[in-house]
Amino acid sequence: MMPEFLLAMALLLLLTMSAGLVRVVIGPTPADRMMAAQLLGTSGIAVLLLLALALEVPALLDVALIFALLAAVSVAAFTRRRAGRDQA
Amino acid sequence: MSQLTLLIIFDGVLLVTLLALAFAAVLSPEPRRAVMLFIAFGLWLSLVWARLRAPDVALAEAAIGAGLGGALMLAAARRAARTSTRSDGGGDEA
Amino acid sequence: MSLDTMLHLLAAVCVTLGAVFFIAGTIGLLRLPDLFSRLHALTKADNLGLGLIMLGLILYAPNVIYAAKLLLLWILVMVSGATGAHLIAKRALRGDGEDAQ
Repeated sequence: MMPEFLLAMALLLLLTMSAGLVRVVIGPTPADRMMAAQLLGTSGIAVLLLLALALEVPALLDVALIFALLAAVSVAAFTRRRAGRDQA
Repeated sequence: MSQLTLLIIFDGVLLVTLLALAFAAVLSPEPRRAVMLFIAFGLWLSLVWARLRAPDVALAEAAIGAGLGGALMLAAARRAARTSTRSDGGGDEA
Repeated sequence: MSLDTMLHLLAAVCVTLGAVFFIAGTIGLLRLPDLFSRLHALTKADNLGLGLIMLGLILYAPNVIYAAKLLLLWILVMVSGATGAHLIAKRALRGDGEDAQ
């Protein structure tokens, strides 16, 4: 019963991720898109963790770690101060 | 529901959304929106590799394809937007 | 009912609650009117949703190393999520960074 339950939960989270994609596409400001991408990353981590137990591939935990790192890096790149504007 | 049915539905959702994301990213007129969609596409492709039981490829795709490439493209899109607004505003480039 | 069954039941409840938080966060992201309220919905889904799922999976975890790794991942996600949300909110508030159109 356990792998089926975990897979069903992963499927549910995948569906909510697909719904969240709508905000990436329509989001009025770039900050909205970035926020939606962040939620996408977090849900992706959850899906990966569920898959790691359901499919019995423990190495997927490392992929989830990289996802967490990726969210931090892309947010930092996104919110960086404009160097050119400040120096001018 | 059996495990196989669940996996088939999972794969179907993954495939359809991946294709939709790819089309949205390619057809997007605005550079920054295209970059965001590209990052989301990289995340999604990495999920596909994870589902195919290839965690090493998923790792490389997430780190290089979405992370590094996305951050570099964000910087490039910002620079492109800045030069275009400057040339629109006219002549303050010394 | 054996101890194992009870643990699994508890884990299932935790994972389901976490999924509910993710669904609520996504609905909030889609339906709320402005950027800051959407950010508010997002951080709840980030911390509580992933936290509850992580708690459930720690109960399922096959060995101690696996559980410790999950815990470390949770801490990393909480720190980076909170920092990211703060940065996005600050930029949006000042109309600075990428938000300047």
